[in-house]
Amino acid sequence: MDHLQYLMVLGACLLVTLPLEVVLGARVYRQPRRLAVAVLPAAALFYLWDAVAVSRGHWTFSASYVTGVTLPLGVPLEELAFFVVVPICSLLSFEAVRNLLDADRRTAVPVLALVRRRGSLRAAGSRPVAGDR
Amino acid sequence: MPEYTAAAVVGLLAVVVAELVWFRSGVLRLRAFWVSMAICLLFMVVTNGWLTKLSAPIVLYNAATKSPWRVPWDIPVEDYLFGFALLTLVTVVWQWDGRRSGVEPTGRHRAPATDAEPRDAAAAPH
Repeated sequence: MDHLQYLMVLGACLLVTLPLEVVLGARVYRQPRRLAVAVLPAAALFYLWDAVAVSRGHWTFSASYVTGVTLPLGVPLEELAFFVVVPICSLLSFEAVRNLLDADRRTAVPVLALVRRRGSLRAAGSRPVAGDR
Repeated sequence: MPEYTAAAVVGLLAVVVAELVWFRSGVLRLRAFWVSMAICLLFMVVTNGWLTKLSAPIVLYNAATKSPWRVPWDIPVEDYLFGFALLTLVTVVWQWDGRRSGVEPTGRHRAPATDAEPRDAAAAPH
């Protein structure tokens, strides 16, 4: 289990931020092309940074807490996962904050729509449907 | 200046320059970006604190290539620049692509809602 520690930290990040997509309407996972355009080039650049840092001895990884799967240029699998997972979490945060701060976007927040619906006493027995206005 | 320290400073500056000169997404002027970054900072302290804790470190740093400062707990200060560079770059490109593809309003030339309708209707017929 200890060898999975680093991956489990990243898994926890994805789990904790998932409600931002579902409850606060972040629409990050639902724009997969845009997500790939934003995340992949940055992940590639930071992968190279990591490779240089490892080769120049800036940092190393504890053999006890990583899987031991090493990718080209000596970068552990976990580091690549980090460069994908952490940016996704930050985009979820960015979009969720925008939805809450911007009055024009607040209508897109599912949890607020649900509260409004409750308020209008329509909720009894009817479940909200995706895309329903 | 130690190597990691220098690389982190240059990396972050490069991202800021890329935004100001090339992408011009405007995220650095959005309040939501800074609020979001503050939230990310809190979570970064928790997760990076776990990764770098000296009692059982997952990532081990070479003292010769970084500054001696670790704040709070055992997090090297350079990691904040590294992390901020990564998250800023991703957010800049996200916003840049959103504007380019018409998902995000461009701000300066914000089209009236009616202008957007034909394209929306064509993209998603009811």
